[in-house]
Amino acid sequence: MSHKNTRAGAPKAKTFTKRRLREWGTGWLFVLPWVIGVSVFFLYAMAQSLSYALSDVRLTNGLTVTYQGFQNFITLFTSDTTFPLALSDFALGLLLQVPIIVAFSLIMALMLSSKIKCRAMFRVLFFLPVIIATGPVMDELTQQGVASVPMVNQAAIQGVLASLPNWLSEPILNLFSSLILILWNSGVQILIFIAGLQKVSPDMREAARIDGASGWEIFWKITIPTVKPMVLLNAVYTIIALSTGGQNAIIQLIYNSMFDSAVGRGYGYAAAMAWTYSLVVALALLLAWLILRDRNKKVVYEKRRVAMKGGYYHGDEKKQA
Amino acid sequence: MAIGGTKFSPKKFSKNQLPIYLYMVPIAVFMGAPILYIVNNAFKPMDELYAFPPRFFVTNPSLVNFRNLFQTAAGSGIPISRYVFNSLIVTLLVVLLSVLISTMAGFALSKLKFPGKKAIFEVNNAALMFVTVAVTIPRYLTISSVGILDTYLAHILPLIAMPVSLFLIKQFIDQVPNSLLEAAQLEGANSFTVYRKVILPLIKPAVATGAILAFQQVWNNIETSNLFTSAEGMRTLAFYMNTLTGVGTVAGQGMAAAASLIMFVPNLILFIIMQSSVMNTMAYSGMK
Repeated sequence: MSHKNTRAGAPKAKTFTKRRLREWGTGWLFVLPWVIGVSVFFLYAMAQSLSYALSDVRLTNGLTVTYQGFQNFITLFTSDTTFPLALSDFALGLLLQVPIIVAFSLIMALMLSSKIKCRAMFRVLFFLPVIIATGPVMDELTQQGVASVPMVNQAAIQGVLASLPNWLSEPILNLFSSLILILWNSGVQILIFIAGLQKVSPDMREAARIDGASGWEIFWKITIPTVKPMVLLNAVYTIIALSTGGQNAIIQLIYNSMFDSAVGRGYGYAAAMAWTYSLVVALALLLAWLILRDRNKKVVYEKRRVAMKGGYYHGDEKKQA
Repeated sequence: MAIGGTKFSPKKFSKNQLPIYLYMVPIAVFMGAPILYIVNNAFKPMDELYAFPPRFFVTNPSLVNFRNLFQTAAGSGIPISRYVFNSLIVTLLVVLLSVLISTMAGFALSKLKFPGKKAIFEVNNAALMFVTVAVTIPRYLTISSVGILDTYLAHILPLIAMPVSLFLIKQFIDQVPNSLLEAAQLEGANSFTVYRKVILPLIKPAVATGAILAFQQVWNNIETSNLFTSAEGMRTLAFYMNTLTGVGTVAGQGMAAAASLIMFVPNLILFIIMQSSVMNTMAYSGMK
């Protein structure tokens, strides 16, 4: 008996590993072009720029690299007058802008998902900024000051802002002056939310409504839990878009100190700036993830199911009564 | 939704939607305004461009900005068609290749099992938040050591692996139910067929979004021309427009307005082509 068993088992195991190997092979085949591209133009380049960040790099007559440890980073935080300030401004701006963009795009997506006339036209209009938000068009617009809200200069707002501490009023002022910029930056996010909202089952909403839930309750108990993964995705996307976009002051600063030998302390210094900056962006992403991650997926699902069941039950009782 | 309330008889439905219009219409005007502005600005003669307070609409449209632009272009040795050709070929290849590479990788990372999968996605996330400015000089060194300076490849290769678009596309493919793929596999489809016949049609909105993002990145890119090419004839239209308008003259302002309209029109055309697939498939895709 046992003899038979092993004989039957052996080829089975063999085909299993073969199939698995083939699957591995297919998987790698699919990612290979991407892996090559990223290794050559990102990973290798990133490693090299890290080694530059730890060195003094001069571009005069060829490239001279002398290792000097963390000297660049020390200079960055002790004697640089612009970078630490720009960095903290950026972090505060991010803290204010990301929630606004995500909330705005969720509201817009909700409106665009409801049954209204000309919905298709509105959707197109709201996605339109995606093609404007980068490149020369945007530069032109910001240069002309079109992107700022005119009412900022009004005395009332100025008065309110003056009562706030400077470190807080500055980012808020920036926020106002780039408010339209923010709206223009939310095209992709709106799109992602619209896709997420399709998953909200109309049955469940209807059940809740029959049960007497208000629109507000439905929003918090049904819509939000369903689109929660999309909220995280959008927060991540927004952080990335804001921190790598061309309108970013820090990127300009890095770029200038890289090629302007009069201002800069060499390419190594610029690389150190870039690495510090990336670290801050990574921290922002970590923060977003910590706040928005799905801690208890199953519990939420279970709760919702129970709530739904309860809803139907309740409805039946009402009918009988 | 906050609006709507608890009663929803069909008669009241349209009435309930009124507040939505109240919010949407002004914001929609905001969203559309920059395009009107770009168009108007390009046709403004000098005195209107510098008018104070600045006006939104043009009153006496003229082609003077375009005439200036083309006159300056004619003065420099290389015909403008050369830059247009360069830009077109580079843009086309980058968009096609980057979409192909991201969708393939996104499919593998999301639906196939193989070792190293998680690590690759982590690497993508790391690359995502890294500022590309920091890698310009290492990139230059790589490109020159491979020996592709002053070729189309120098424009194309650095841009085709787009972490953002892989990230977006992978998240979209995650939403495609596994049962669909299993069904296709039971019918005898291999991974390539599944990719082509099931995944690609289902993630059309993500593909279109990725294509638009890639287009944005390459069409407006002046860095590859600036850093990786030295031959004038290998540079792109975006770079050329930038050099023309970069000179801080009074006429430069007008030429910049005209140039940004010229650079913007292909954006708009692509968008009009793409938007139906972005918007429609959203509503009817099997993603539930």
